[in-house]
Amino acid sequence: MTGITRRSFLGRSGAGIAATATLPALTAGPQQKAAAQQLGQAPRTRIELTVNGEAHALEVEDRWTLVEVLRDHLELTGTRVGCDRGECGACTVLLDGRNIFACSYLAVWADGKAVETVEGLARNGVLDPLQEAFIEHDAPQCGFCTSGQLMSAKALLNEGAEVTEESVREALAGNICRCSNFLNYQAAVARGEPSNPATADPLRVVGRPTPRVDALERVTGQARYSPDIQLPGMLYARILRSPHAHALIRAIDVSPALELDGVVAVLTHENCDIDWASGDLANRRMLFNNPVRYYGDAVAAVAAVDRHTAEAAAQLIEVDYDTLPFVLDAEEALEPGAVPVQPGGNLAAPFGALRGGGSPVPGPAVYERGDIEAGLAESDVVIEDHYVSKHHNNAQMEPRTAVAQWEAGKLTVWTPTQGITNCRDDIAAAFGLPNEQVRVICEYMGGGFGNKNQCQDTDLIAAELARRTERPVKLELTRKEDFLSIHGRWPTSQYYRVGAKRDGTLHAIELRGYSGMGPHIKSSGDIAGIDFYQCPNVSKTVRTVHTNMTTSANYRAPSYPQGVFGIASVLDAICHEIDMDPVEFHLKNVTRQYRDATPYTSYGLIDCIEQGAEAFDWGNRRQPVAADAGPIKRGTGMAIGAFTARLGLSNAVLRLDDAGTLWLHAGVTDIGTGAKTTLAMIAAEAMEMDLDRVEVVWGDTDRSPYSVGESGSRTTSHTGFAIVQAAEDLKRQLDERGPPGPGEELVAEAAPNPSLEGEQRYSFAAHFVELEVDTELGGVHLTKYVAAHDSGRIVNPLTATSQVKGGVIQGIGMALHEELLYDRSTGIPVNPGYYGARIMTHLDTIPIDVVFVDTEDAHGPMGAKSIGESTIIPVVGAIANAIFNATGRRIRELPISRDRVIGAMS
Amino acid sequence: MKAFENLSPATLDEAVELLGTARANGEVAYPAGGGSDLLGMVKDELVPAPDRIVDLKRIPGLDEIRTSERGTEIGGLVTVDAVARSEGIRSRYPVLAEAAAAVGAPQLRNTGTIAGNVCQRPWCWYFRQGFSCLKRGGDRCYSVIGENQQHAIFGGGPSFIVHPSDTANALVALDAEFQITGPNGERTVPASEFFILPRDSLERENVLETDELLVGISLPSTSANRSGAYRKVMDREAWTHAVVSVALTLDMDGEVCRDARIVLGGVAPIPWRVPAAEDMLRGQGITAELAQQAADSALEGAQPLAKNGYKVMMARALVRRSVLELSGAA
Repeated sequence: MTGITRRSFLGRSGAGIAATATLPALTAGPQQKAAAQQLGQAPRTRIELTVNGEAHALEVEDRWTLVEVLRDHLELTGTRVGCDRGECGACTVLLDGRNIFACSYLAVWADGKAVETVEGLARNGVLDPLQEAFIEHDAPQCGFCTSGQLMSAKALLNEGAEVTEESVREALAGNICRCSNFLNYQAAVARGEPSNPATADPLRVVGRPTPRVDALERVTGQARYSPDIQLPGMLYARILRSPHAHALIRAIDVSPALELDGVVAVLTHENCDIDWASGDLANRRMLFNNPVRYYGDAVAAVAAVDRHTAEAAAQLIEVDYDTLPFVLDAEEALEPGAVPVQPGGNLAAPFGALRGGGSPVPGPAVYERGDIEAGLAESDVVIEDHYVSKHHNNAQMEPRTAVAQWEAGKLTVWTPTQGITNCRDDIAAAFGLPNEQVRVICEYMGGGFGNKNQCQDTDLIAAELARRTERPVKLELTRKEDFLSIHGRWPTSQYYRVGAKRDGTLHAIELRGYSGMGPHIKSSGDIAGIDFYQCPNVSKTVRTVHTNMTTSANYRAPSYPQGVFGIASVLDAICHEIDMDPVEFHLKNVTRQYRDATPYTSYGLIDCIEQGAEAFDWGNRRQPVAADAGPIKRGTGMAIGAFTARLGLSNAVLRLDDAGTLWLHAGVTDIGTGAKTTLAMIAAEAMEMDLDRVEVVWGDTDRSPYSVGESGSRTTSHTGFAIVQAAEDLKRQLDERGPPGPGEELVAEAAPNPSLEGEQRYSFAAHFVELEVDTELGGVHLTKYVAAHDSGRIVNPLTATSQVKGGVIQGIGMALHEELLYDRSTGIPVNPGYYGARIMTHLDTIPIDVVFVDTEDAHGPMGAKSIGESTIIPVVGAIANAIFNATGRRIRELPISRDRVIGAMS
Repeated sequence: MKAFENLSPATLDEAVELLGTARANGEVAYPAGGGSDLLGMVKDELVPAPDRIVDLKRIPGLDEIRTSERGTEIGGLVTVDAVARSEGIRSRYPVLAEAAAAVGAPQLRNTGTIAGNVCQRPWCWYFRQGFSCLKRGGDRCYSVIGENQQHAIFGGGPSFIVHPSDTANALVALDAEFQITGPNGERTVPASEFFILPRDSLERENVLETDELLVGISLPSTSANRSGAYRKVMDREAWTHAVVSVALTLDMDGEVCRDARIVLGGVAPIPWRVPAAEDMLRGQGITAELAQQAADSALEGAQPLAKNGYKVMMARALVRRSVLELSGAA
């Protein structure tokens, strides 16, 4: 993309669109005659559109939506497709000045009308004030929803009415942001104060609130995501998915699909035996499996000249199924006589053993210290209780899209991934290629929250179709497919017995847990949270179980929020039983050493609790349980969190050129966290340079070295550490040789693999919430939220604050709304999608106060630890406890929706 | 989507004719107002793939709100947003303006029409996920033994959908009349008789016959003393259908209620008017006790399924609160 750059904003990108264009099908090629025939059959209409002030005369297929024409045929890819059903808002454009969903409006209906897209906001080389405000307020995280948010904001301003916080929330109500940066979007439009919390003792660059180095690309529509990739001669692919929760494929007939004009290739389990190794650590998983083990399991894939043909062809495939019994619930799956989901039975081996290789034996993951039975017997009060959490979809805004192309034996895949190197290695292994023969590119990525960690089957299917057809192939998942076939947080069933002394000393914790992983094991299935407490007697037994639900795996702090829901609720019940304030209980009982044995490298948990409680005004806000007499009852609650801030292998290359520009090569993709900015700041700090002299080279395995994948909240620590080391080398070279002369450059590379001996490195958090429960209507309305975090030195307070707010709001959705709900008679989910799963909107948000406590950690880059995942950990527990404080009723099953609140009150 | 032809008739007669011709030729044809619900259903194949879509948006005169002494006429193509913002509707028929403002999201209100909102298909999750249910010609209503949290507590059977439209509840409360045009000419149907229960038809949710179109809505003039409100409980704060809602109008003469309309949304396959509760208010001074009695009466006879009993308590509280709030007795 040409046009607006960070440093010199010269003008809107021309995009090279002629004022008049007859839209061709595709570039000519031998196979395109069939294409033309196929396209010729679809009725077409000539229309006139004014797009961003330019008149276009176009011939469109009647069935094309407006967003399809804008993106695919006018190359205005700044307008995104998140759901294609009017459920997310990413495709919002203005039609004659009013905001509409361009996915739900036919292009022919717009004939004669004026369309405005994000590309038209900047005029004559000047950003729209809204775009400036979006940058200043750190409104875009992943940026995939940003164009839509901008256009809805523009529609509000077009009205000329007074802009208030409320009118902004209403105006943006049809634009979801799954990074949940709602508050920054609202503040940007309402021209509120940017959230720029000062941190103590900022360094030269690090510690100062800094807008993202790529914010401009994210607010102008220039950021190029995988779905924006279009290649000459490219085919479109679609997947046919199982309509059954569990079935044997008896026969499959693809000939009706192949007979359709424009269809080039079809893959099924009969003609494709590629292993999807990263799709399951416990069982062999192919791209297409027989039997199919969940509703939505891939059965076949079709490549055709356009997406409509591919879609139609997939439906022509005839599959003869023998349906099998299915099981959805993890505990039921372990009962005698339950249908085996996998040949080895439904109980999986512990994740640690699976990762260790060898021949892991199915069984629970067990952790014990002390003597649990003695500990319970010695306790003055014992609470025995059962908690249930559900499957929550990550619901990232960008649906999976993979574009694959083979050139001279080398495979290039554009795909949204949280780790380009891991993804490349997985793809290379699947095709039996050396790593250098595969290139993975992910310039911009529309969120993942853990479900874009590994290589996905979509990458491999696109690559295999491209290999067979000798043409580039784009495989796009629909939003529903993304909900069904990627993965979400695993559902759990948690049985606790917890004992304490009368003085509030925690004495015994037992957890017996079950995690429903779906048919495949991709993640730990752990139920975490009890490690946040010091306790002499602990017993934890967690079973990871195969079921016929969709696969469960990582979603932001994968095993924590659901575990904290359980343990925080039980401990709150102990506080209630012995009449002890939860803050006092926590100060007495929270972890001081990891598992009461290993010191932490730095420790701010007590500070989080104390400073958070003070910012919240806990002493004054806290009331006795069910203190309000009326139907609307106020309550407060708290919970804590801890998340690893691991150290480990990562790489960085620094190049200093003769113009004084520092090039930072890092194999990150920046999933919305602001990693590119954070890492550039660390480089600038380490080199004692200004940030605007640093250029980041990222997102391309051919141009950037191995970096750890952006998961586990470890990019800042791992890759930042490598940058600091490389900078030391570069500074040494500078000292020795002086600055590079004309045509020269200095290069430093570091690949450190630091580890800790006898220490654990963790980030900590304490969250406090006040809310009102409408006991008659069942609603829970949050009125105050304080999130206190110890993440070591905060590299960029601006983006770190966005992380905290986003994690908290995702947690609120998990607590109150969200669940992928299955029909038990068919094994089919009834609510995949943003509408059905009740994903949070602008109107569901409340202000969140963020407190960073001041800690120094000797090990990370400039003392930084981790932030992304710790933000969601305490949320559900804090809310559940506040609901108990308000009502005196404890709700033990997520989500705490209106039906459950009313049920608990009656 | 499978290929189809978009037709843009310039008149209503032409639109009806195009629909009829297509059908006579054995083709599938649908009218499109705003079109967003239709496109979603076509994409998800919840309805047979169309050969023709007859776009009504280019027909002049149907996108106007006209007010006279006899009442207000709303063209079928008036957008939901225009209804919500119309000064005349906000001042004379606040229950309708509030119901329209509660619909979906701004983008949907900007394209969605009042006729389309009233005629939208059910949002039962079984129906929308493509289950072969009664509404789609299948042999059962999956909600009966399934996930029926969102389903009907009144008027259910054999299907237990709830009517999804917010504005429909307000229009029934306002004694609106619906103008219908079709192959056999024009007819007018009171809003209270427009919607039909599953026991009367599984294929449709209203009286529109094949190729008939809802082209306009008439609202009778109202007394200056009539107030109205629409209260909608949702399972997130925006962009979804009502769990339970109430459309309420009150004609107050000082402290005394002269007339009332109470229509519940989200509880039945049609907007669910509760005349017994209205009767309790008529001629009375409104007190907290009376509001509670009316609310109890409104929910009398509810027949919840296994997972939607909470709707009874919710609706009862919503009616009581709305009556108190609107009457000023709160």
